[in-house]
Amino acid sequence: MSDLIWSAIAPEILLVIVASLVLVVEVWKRPPLKSMAWLIGAGLVGTWAAWFLQFSRLQDLMELGSPGTLAFNNMVVSDGTAVIAELILLVILTLGVAMAWPMLDEVGRRSAETLVLMFLATSGFMFLVASANLVMAFIGLEVGSISLYVLAAIARKSRLADEAAMKYFLLGSFASAVFIYGVALLYAGSGSVSIDALAVFNGRIIISPGVLYVSMAMLVVGVLFKVTAAPFHAWAPDVYQGSAAGVVGFMAASAKVGGFVALVRIVGITFARFEVDWRPALAAIAALSIVLGTLLALSQTDFRRMLAYSGVAHAGFILVGVTAGRSATEAILFYLAVYTVQLVAAFGIAAAVSGPTSSGSPFSSYKGLASRSPLMAAGLAVTMLGMSGMPITSGFIGKLGVFRSAWAQGLEWVVVVALVASVAAFFFYLRVIVDMYMRDVDEDTAEVPDEPRLAGRLAIAVAVVITILFGLYPAPLLDLIRNVVS
Amino acid sequence: MDFPMLSVLILVPVLAALVVMVLPADRTELHLPVALVLSLLPVGLAGILFARFESAAGFQFVEQAALIERWGISWHLGIDGIALPLILLTTILIPISIAASTSIAKSPQLFLAMVLLLEAGLIGVFSALDLIVFFVFFEAILIPMYFIIGIWGSENRIYAAIKFFLYTAFGSALMLAGIIALSVLQQQKTGFASFDYSDLLTLELTPGTQAWLFAVFGIAFAIKVPMFPVHTWLPDAHVQAPTAGSVLLAGVMLKLGTYGFLRFNLPLFPDAAVKYAPVVATLAVIGIVYGAAVAIVQTDLKKLVAYSSVSHLGFIMLGIVAFTQSGLDGGVIQMVNHGITTGALFLLVGMLYERRHTKLIADFGGLQKTMPVFAGVFLFSTFASIGLPGLNGFVGEFLVLVGSYATRPAFAIIATAGVVLAAIYLLWAYERVFTGEPDKPENVNVADLNLRETLIFVPLIILILTLGLYPKVLLDRIEPSTAAIIDRIEATTDFVEPTFVIGEPGE
Repeated sequence: MSDLIWSAIAPEILLVIVASLVLVVEVWKRPPLKSMAWLIGAGLVGTWAAWFLQFSRLQDLMELGSPGTLAFNNMVVSDGTAVIAELILLVILTLGVAMAWPMLDEVGRRSAETLVLMFLATSGFMFLVASANLVMAFIGLEVGSISLYVLAAIARKSRLADEAAMKYFLLGSFASAVFIYGVALLYAGSGSVSIDALAVFNGRIIISPGVLYVSMAMLVVGVLFKVTAAPFHAWAPDVYQGSAAGVVGFMAASAKVGGFVALVRIVGITFARFEVDWRPALAAIAALSIVLGTLLALSQTDFRRMLAYSGVAHAGFILVGVTAGRSATEAILFYLAVYTVQLVAAFGIAAAVSGPTSSGSPFSSYKGLASRSPLMAAGLAVTMLGMSGMPITSGFIGKLGVFRSAWAQGLEWVVVVALVASVAAFFFYLRVIVDMYMRDVDEDTAEVPDEPRLAGRLAIAVAVVITILFGLYPAPLLDLIRNVVS
Repeated sequence: MDFPMLSVLILVPVLAALVVMVLPADRTELHLPVALVLSLLPVGLAGILFARFESAAGFQFVEQAALIERWGISWHLGIDGIALPLILLTTILIPISIAASTSIAKSPQLFLAMVLLLEAGLIGVFSALDLIVFFVFFEAILIPMYFIIGIWGSENRIYAAIKFFLYTAFGSALMLAGIIALSVLQQQKTGFASFDYSDLLTLELTPGTQAWLFAVFGIAFAIKVPMFPVHTWLPDAHVQAPTAGSVLLAGVMLKLGTYGFLRFNLPLFPDAAVKYAPVVATLAVIGIVYGAAVAIVQTDLKKLVAYSSVSHLGFIMLGIVAFTQSGLDGGVIQMVNHGITTGALFLLVGMLYERRHTKLIADFGGLQKTMPVFAGVFLFSTFASIGLPGLNGFVGEFLVLVGSYATRPAFAIIATAGVVLAAIYLLWAYERVFTGEPDKPENVNVADLNLRETLIFVPLIILILTLGLYPKVLLDRIEPSTAAIIDRIEATTDFVEPTFVIGEPGE
């Protein structure tokens, strides 16, 4: 077997090894969390090293003029999109673990499980973004999703958390079933489940249009569910509000990266020839997500529900890029990179404000945060401005990227809808800043938040730096993406 | 490459803001003096710009470096005779606003940092020659101003801050669509993307495209000016903002709108500009009369000054869309004048408020007796604002009226009414606040200007007199740039500048 290119899945291998080691050590030694930190730290360093290995190998290949390589019997692809998406997932995991630490302290023996699930979920989504085969994509999607269902209930302190996990599991499995049904239909019609082969196939032979369109719709809907695009978003607010505070940012961010990269591959490669068919549908879903997400976010009273609905709107913004086609891949990856980091930071700060295992985070507890915890308030203010797409933050560059791609493809109306909605969105992002900076502490309802630990503070700092630095000078990140994504 | 003066000018206030933030929090006596001294550095740098500026058309002190090459975004800065006076105005008003902010008690470091960041953003807007860089600065200055109004404003500050932010952001969103459209058109025509001002000037846009782009840019700038009927954010923001906020808002930030018209709407879309100038002029004249009329009936002194801005900015817009040399020159110089005189008036109202904790005209009376120096400065600023010959306001208003009479006599005649109304609302306010006997006991023992406050007004008074008696010092530098705009309009449309010369009978 000449195509056992281990470097193509090196980060995934490391993640699974670390997860297994943590499980074994936990059962065998029951070490305190502090000792576990060393193992986790070493595991993260190893995974980063594995990623660099994969990245340098890809660069070698690109020097020879190849856009990437297929491996493991054409199941996995190591190309620019996969490598960058894995980088984003790795950043999310690293920041997510740092942000989750106070929660790990609180959940006691379940801390090891939490870490294992975070590593496994990341490995699943990494397989998803690197899949060259729809069955492989499904397996990656499920490994990731099932880990997230369990993570949603990991703190199990409130009925809200149980409800969130149950909803997530039931609706999520349904979406996965829709996805695999689509794969099956495509296989029935064409005899292939390879993303590339199907593209060739679709280019030459016309399978029954009914089968084709139904399977295309099912694949797309299955993925759109995972990325909380409207109208498949109904689960998101409950899950984001109810799940364990410490890990919800990680959950939301990693699922979005996995889902969107899979969507880019599916519509951009497998169904590239049917662009005229999916473009109007995706454009409509993008506009609907943006409008609905923004309007619903406006009326929320809970910060985490607000973030969930704003996530629906963000899914719409990224979909604007997906709709524009392959030329926007670079902009989509940039958007995903900066948005997901901000998402992890925002949920992390919410966890610090309302408690690491809490369900929900009402706006009233943010009143006067600037005077109680200037660092957290500044971090959250920058994150909110970044999410709102304010210039000088990387959020603006991300939006500019997808908008200009879409405009050039003749999707002016979606861009205008998105721009108008992003003005309305300022209202709820600024609301948090108003509460933190312009109102006084509400003595009755506010508990004094714990300052985040060193790791948490570092994670917030990273998010702030990414938001501002890449907002002022985005060239390094854009170049990194562009150099490998042809 | 030459010394990057403009980048340094943008960077210095940012660094100053950082320095102020890292000062020890408990040494409150240090914060304001340090910020004040640091804010004098940009004044010096702007002075160098002024001295080295050559009175010629085209951009000077140009610097360019790629930011995102494939999207065609570059750090392209440069100033002409329109931007130079506004940068000077910004750098001068910042130390003055800082010196006037001694009563800021809540987190003064953050406040001073915000004022300095605002300065960096304003200089960036006036020197940006790449549309994305311009847009970034144009939007970014919302953040410090939003905080300045929202944290340090008076009772209704949060409402005012959000209203201010959303109005402007709405206009900017439309403009961003226009900017993206321009760059896509550029890419389709030449094959390479660019947001560069000089590249986009070479686009030959169809009249239809020009019309809608003129509209989206125009709405964004009209909100900023603010023109009737999108001016409603202004009274709220001005009245709620702390003194420094009002000074900078009226003094500089409103000029972003008029500057935008001059920099983008006229040169980029000349055809639409000529076609829709009557619409803009109509709204400008409505603004002049309406703003003045509403100012007359105000009971709140600060609101009165705020509405007077609506009226004065109407003059500037009228001058700009006259497309004549004196109209444009008058518009630009009036931008500076309004910044100085309205800044002075807001400072005076702020100082009055610090003493009496009220801004209602009815609460005052006879203050001339108790605070003669203050009253003198107020009267002087009032005269400058009304446009008394010999003071700066006269030069600008006169040029605007002469310039717009050449193209639109009827508009100019109605606008003249604005000058008369200005005399009414300002002098009537002066009469009610300062003349007579101080019959209310609280008005008897009001302290006059102290040394610090007097020093704040010295530079403003010098500027009012200089620009009133010798406006040539600015006009020489403005004229080549405004002439270039008119040349461009004449070259690309069938508009011809009327040959109407002051002192000679028209045809």
